[in-house]
Amino acid sequence: MDEKKSVRSGLIEALPLAIAIAAYGLSYGVLASQAKFGLAETVGMSLLVFSGSVQMVTVAMLAADANLTNILFTTVLLNLRNLLYGAALAQGIAPAGKWRWLLSFGVTDEPFVLGSARFKRYGPDPLYYAIVTGTLYLAWIISSLSGALIGNRMDPQQWGLDLAFPVTFMALLIPGLKENPVIATALSAAVIAVVLEYFFSGNNFTLILTGVLSPLIGLYVKRRFRHD
Amino acid sequence: MIRNWLLIGLLAASTYLSRIIGLELMAGRKMSPALRSYFHYVPVGIISALIIKQIFVPTDGRIVISLPVLVACFITFVAMKMFKMFLPSVVVGVICGLFIRYLLNA
Repeated sequence: MDEKKSVRSGLIEALPLAIAIAAYGLSYGVLASQAKFGLAETVGMSLLVFSGSVQMVTVAMLAADANLTNILFTTVLLNLRNLLYGAALAQGIAPAGKWRWLLSFGVTDEPFVLGSARFKRYGPDPLYYAIVTGTLYLAWIISSLSGALIGNRMDPQQWGLDLAFPVTFMALLIPGLKENPVIATALSAAVIAVVLEYFFSGNNFTLILTGVLSPLIGLYVKRRFRHD
Repeated sequence: MIRNWLLIGLLAASTYLSRIIGLELMAGRKMSPALRSYFHYVPVGIISALIIKQIFVPTDGRIVISLPVLVACFITFVAMKMFKMFLPSVVVGVICGLFIRYLLNA
């Protein structure tokens, strides 16, 4: 594989996604500052975790006074999909040898999409994957920092930053709602969460129980549609 | 402060583990399609629950619907469906929610 080609393709293909990721990063930075995260903590989490969904959910749960155990359990659930991504990317990254331990840091939604498409067409290409991950990582860090700087200087109520949490999650959710099982998962999650909040108002288990139960409804719908 | 850094450390470790385990241990192994689908649906369920928890706010032992949040989410839903642009949809949603809050407080 031509190294120059890998670098050029990695940069060109990662750039549009880097812009999209920067929008999420900006939101994360603002939200983290609303969850009483300092500048160093906000950027530190982006540097060390590098996962939009985990970081967003964590700051939202912190803002709602969730305890450490619940946050960890919920994020473990969120991270389950990384097992699939890692398994799918393993062959494409394998030629990197021990560097794959570093490249594995990029096993997350967007690099997975680009990496798996590349490996399918051209075979293993760890350099391409490194360029993609590095570009997206930089975009995530810089935008998190920018968001934290903006968020720290605003009065949350006056600027509606408290509304940014649910609105951001809604904007994250919508693009994925295309297939019936996914829609069923989202709707059943809404029903389960409302019921739990109604009967056990302000409890700490709504997210965990909903996260475990609602995908089962999605699976049920998937099977039903396949057999009909 | 220390609690936040402890949380960041634990999240970093658990997230990295999920990545490296997939890469090192699950590669080449067959996983049932049902389990794959389940893993894909989990984030959808959690994000939906997070939205609901922001709309239905516990107040004095009962849950109350936050109208500004509800309207903001609905407008964001419509904006995302129509324009498919993340940041503008978020901004429009927040502005509409703020407007409802202003009307309620007027």
